[in-house]
Amino acid sequence: MTTETAASPRALAWQRRRHSAARFWKQYRTHRAGLFGLATLALFALLALTAPLTVGSDVQSVTRAPGQPLESPSGEFPLGTDRFGRSLLGLLIWGARVSLLVGLLAAVLSVAIGAFIGITAGHFRGRYATVIMRITDWFLVMPTLVLAIALATVMSRSLGTIVLAIGVTTWPTTARLVRAQTLAVESRPYIERAKALGGGHGHIMSRHVLPNVMPLVLAQTTLIISSAILAEATLAFLGLGDPTVVSWGGLLQDAREAGAVSAGDWWYLVPPGIAIAVVALAFTLCGRAVESVLNPRLGVAR
Amino acid sequence: MSTHVHGRGPKGPRSRPRTVRLVATAGAAALVFSAGLATPLDPAPRQAAAADGDKVLTVAVAQSVDSLSPFLASRLLSTSIHRLTYEYLTNYDPKDAHAVPGLATKWESSPDKLTWTYTIRSNSKWSDGQRATAEDAAWTFTKMMTDEGAATANGSFVANFEKVTAPSPTQLVIKLKKPQATMTALDVPIVPKHVWEKVGDFSEFNNDKKFPIVGNGPFVLTDYKADSYVRLKANKGFWRGAPKFDELVFRYYKDQDAAVAALRKGEVSFVAGQPALTPAQAASLKNADDIKVNDAPGRRFYAIATNPGAKARNGQKFGDGHPSLLDQRVRHALFMAVDRKTIIDKVFQGHAVEGQGYIPPRFSQYFFKPSASQELAYDPEQAAALLDRAGYRKNSAGERLGKDGRPITYRVLCHATDPNDKAVGQYLKEWWGKLGIGVRLDCLDNVSDPWLAGTYDLAFDGWSVNPDPDFVLSIHTCAALPATPKDTGATDNFICDKRYDDLYARQLAEYDPAKRAAIVQQMESRLYDLGYMNVMAYPNAVEAYRTDQIKSIRTMPSGAGNIYGQDGYWSWWSAVPADSGGSSDDSSSTGVVIGGAVGAAVLVGAGLFFAMRRRATADDRE
Amino acid sequence: MSSLQKAAAPPVLTEPAARRTSGPAYLRYGAGKVGGAAVSLLAVLVTGFFLFRLIPGDPVKTMTGGRPVSAEQLAAYRREFGLDLPVWQQFTDYCGKALTGDLGTSYQFRAPVLDKITEALPNTLLLTGTAFVLYTALGIFLGTRAAWRHGGLGDKLNTGLALTLYSVPSFWLGLLLIIVFSVGIGPIPGLFPTGGMESGGEEGFAYVLDVAHHLILPVITLVAVEYGQTLLVTRSALLDEMGGDYLTTARAKGLRDDLVRRRHAVPNALLPTVTLVFVNLGRTVAGVILVETVFSWPGLGGLFYQALSVPDLPLVQGLFFFFAAAVIVMNTVADLVYPLLDPRVGR
Repeated sequence: MTTETAASPRALAWQRRRHSAARFWKQYRTHRAGLFGLATLALFALLALTAPLTVGSDVQSVTRAPGQPLESPSGEFPLGTDRFGRSLLGLLIWGARVSLLVGLLAAVLSVAIGAFIGITAGHFRGRYATVIMRITDWFLVMPTLVLAIALATVMSRSLGTIVLAIGVTTWPTTARLVRAQTLAVESRPYIERAKALGGGHGHIMSRHVLPNVMPLVLAQTTLIISSAILAEATLAFLGLGDPTVVSWGGLLQDAREAGAVSAGDWWYLVPPGIAIAVVALAFTLCGRAVESVLNPRLGVAR
Repeated sequence: MSTHVHGRGPKGPRSRPRTVRLVATAGAAALVFSAGLATPLDPAPRQAAAADGDKVLTVAVAQSVDSLSPFLASRLLSTSIHRLTYEYLTNYDPKDAHAVPGLATKWESSPDKLTWTYTIRSNSKWSDGQRATAEDAAWTFTKMMTDEGAATANGSFVANFEKVTAPSPTQLVIKLKKPQATMTALDVPIVPKHVWEKVGDFSEFNNDKKFPIVGNGPFVLTDYKADSYVRLKANKGFWRGAPKFDELVFRYYKDQDAAVAALRKGEVSFVAGQPALTPAQAASLKNADDIKVNDAPGRRFYAIATNPGAKARNGQKFGDGHPSLLDQRVRHALFMAVDRKTIIDKVFQGHAVEGQGYIPPRFSQYFFKPSASQELAYDPEQAAALLDRAGYRKNSAGERLGKDGRPITYRVLCHATDPNDKAVGQYLKEWWGKLGIGVRLDCLDNVSDPWLAGTYDLAFDGWSVNPDPDFVLSIHTCAALPATPKDTGATDNFICDKRYDDLYARQLAEYDPAKRAAIVQQMESRLYDLGYMNVMAYPNAVEAYRTDQIKSIRTMPSGAGNIYGQDGYWSWWSAVPADSGGSSDDSSSTGVVIGGAVGAAVLVGAGLFFAMRRRATADDRE
Repeated sequence: MSSLQKAAAPPVLTEPAARRTSGPAYLRYGAGKVGGAAVSLLAVLVTGFFLFRLIPGDPVKTMTGGRPVSAEQLAAYRREFGLDLPVWQQFTDYCGKALTGDLGTSYQFRAPVLDKITEALPNTLLLTGTAFVLYTALGIFLGTRAAWRHGGLGDKLNTGLALTLYSVPSFWLGLLLIIVFSVGIGPIPGLFPTGGMESGGEEGFAYVLDVAHHLILPVITLVAVEYGQTLLVTRSALLDEMGGDYLTTARAKGLRDDLVRRRHAVPNALLPTVTLVFVNLGRTVAGVILVETVFSWPGLGGLFYQALSVPDLPLVQGLFFFFAAAVIVMNTVADLVYPLLDPRVGR
């Protein structure tokens, strides 16, 4: 640990963090798969963010659909049209917004719950920790898909429901990992010192433990986004999504309902699936790269 | 992810082939386990497989059987099967659906219409050889009257029965408490007394344990496996003549698209149009060889219903429909903003007819077309003006405000399982959005709860209309409202209108068909003006079959009508096999090849385990 | 299996497994695990009961399908299904019966829930069992190979393919397989059935072949999306192991390289995989819902879906309990087996 000198401790801390970020990036760069994942994500993020400019929200409109229903790919519609005659390429780009957003929100929710539970359980120990970890263990063995379907059925059909259903069913893994890390951090001497100097529970958890588990939380978030995107598609495909919102899973559900499978209208079915797989893969690759930078012993990318 | 797994202790220096062996054994056990499962799955001895040359008609259905007991079944598939396996007292003529003889050869009522006497045919035999008699019918009805469990499915038919007797094997006498219109349309399967009197609890007996099931219809049910198939064999001794196919199989597919794919491949001979095939499916099947798409005028209407303020017969109000919908001008404006032609063109892609009156044009004598002055043609500008006139104006943000000063957003109840609801819902959202009205689509698997509770603003609605429209007319009378908010009434969506009710009473008392039809049209006109039931379309019945397996099959009505879901058993009874016949021959031979391949794949998997295991033990020996 | 399953997939060993591997200590450890599992099962029972009461919908009104029913008749139905009792009493009744193996009567099928489950269970087990054996074997085999030649082109392709398939939605893959190999596209004939488990009417060996024929596409789908996880765990465990000092020692003793790997590294590395194997088996049973839906497989997943839409409370609760129990039991088995396989733990 750095000794405190004349410079303000805060500035020092920032400097230290900047250094470690630079170190992190240097190591991350050596993981080619991770870079590939990152580049893919950047591309999709760009597409999603610029969608209002490139395709415009009009692409969702059914009344102003430019084509005939279920046209096969052509110069005008590179990926054909959907059952309303909307351009599938446009919908695919527009759907990225929803799929990425839901994946991101659900993962953040899941990791936030997990981090909170993990840190408190690691910090407070005793009866609280026992009870909390029992609950965590219990959630860990719940069949997540079954639970998420049940939750989505119980609540009204909206994006919020999907985010919630994914978030509250996937946090236990994070909680366990964060707790283990918290225990390790808290066994270090400087926590002892902080306590002796009168640091309260809140201070220790937010100022000392949280920054130290942050990298782990980051890796975990990346990995969970990947699952959350798949989960969103799954729930939408099972008809539990909001039918008026265009998402990749929703497009697949539309395709199946319209009869694209038996009619062999592959252009309706193939692109959304590929988009889901590519983005999920990209997040997984990033997550693995982050993980192996943080914990080289894991050997994932060797 | 999988990489956090191994937070383990220090590493031991010894090898552990034991582990490998254990994995291998576990794998082998699982293999044996699953292989073992493949064979003795059903302990019941199965009927002899279709002998070579047997003509099998396979129907793909997207609905599962709820119960094989005629006393419990209510799904269309189950009741269709009962129609095929048990003879009812009467049947419907395939041309115009008037009552024709079934188990009863003739029937007459006493002048006061309270006593009905049916003559039971003497040439109908149960499949176990015993003769079907009036005694069986009397026992069936009496059971339903006395045992609540037996009244589950068809209890409404006998609710009004006083007494049912069988003075002789060929005579059945039913005494009523008050006159009943459905006496020649009692859709109640008559079951063999000598079999069913042994049943203990009718509310839990599903009739699916002992096969073949004793019946007297054109087919005999020989085998059933939940969510897989229902097999029926032709009843060679059927009094009307044996069916042309030797076997009839209803095979279950979880969704319609899988069923259509199965038809393309020839796995099945027929795809039930329930739900109707989608435009994409119909279009792709039309181009396929040896497949005929039956695209016939449907008997359904497809409407958008508005909540008229749910209330019970005792005057108690319930539910929370939007108050603005009580204004007729608002309802008209909403419907005027619905472009019916686009719905036909885009959503149904021509497989439907634009909506007019309440009853579909297939029933031409009752079909009603609004006059030019009353017609609510598509005209969004007029609609906006109408809303302005009604006092619902737009605010600066373009939102139309309700009388409470808040922007109007309607909840539209839709069936999550019906793609058309979701598609039309999206159009409504945009069309009404232009009027400044928000739409929230509430798509549910099961809409009956908010529906019965009146907690919706608008809802997608549709009914299949019978040749006699009495039922679909009756569900909009005040008498159909629930007695109290706690009851469930026959009402469709709580409409209660004095003028409509008067007309309803008049048509009931009118015996002259032409005059009655005129009154029915007046009722439709009234319904149209009220704006509570806005018919958008009459969807066609779209179904398809393989012409290389089915040579001909009778539709109902015979001119242009549906095949699946008929009122009688005409379609399956009349179906004539094509000369090339059976569908299952070639698939079973490829089955052998492919099955062999799978077996090989499984063996490779097993081999892998054992290879690893052997290697491990070999290492030990070194 | 589903993506959601994957999210929670890391088979986390509950705490440092055991102190000792034999004798009373192990028994105590085992008893603790079994006790914990029993508590979990009870918690599942409670959750299932209350969670599904939240589904909007009056089951009795749904059951009567909107037919005109008087308040008295509705009350009679409620009595019949015990829905007129206070919730806590319904709950105690339910638990009491559940302990004796009676999970109630399905509303829509009018049959004991246990009968409906045991009817569909063999079908689900056949599908998941076959897929499970194949993907575990494939995962371990390819994982070992990838680790042996780690860093090489083979490893990269191998791992890359596994990761890619792992990111593919299983239902989508299933639909594509149906289009290509069932319906047939271009020159490819439709070789396989589009769905279901049997054609019906076959007997004896022909029946087995018929079922096997129907089994192929769903099994391929499951194997494709599932084997990746086993592969990755095996691979990273093996890589982990290969860095171990004892291997260097072994090599220094003059043992051949491949022998070192095979005799020392692989068996140790398989330990985490064993845990994963059991955990996966439990999860696959619950996660097969999607594949069953796509292939019209008459198993538990389809039943669950039908039950939810009514809502058929007893059936939903029963299935939920069953799915959770499968995972809990398999986890417990993994916990119990692990110290037996790895005596190092706690030494």
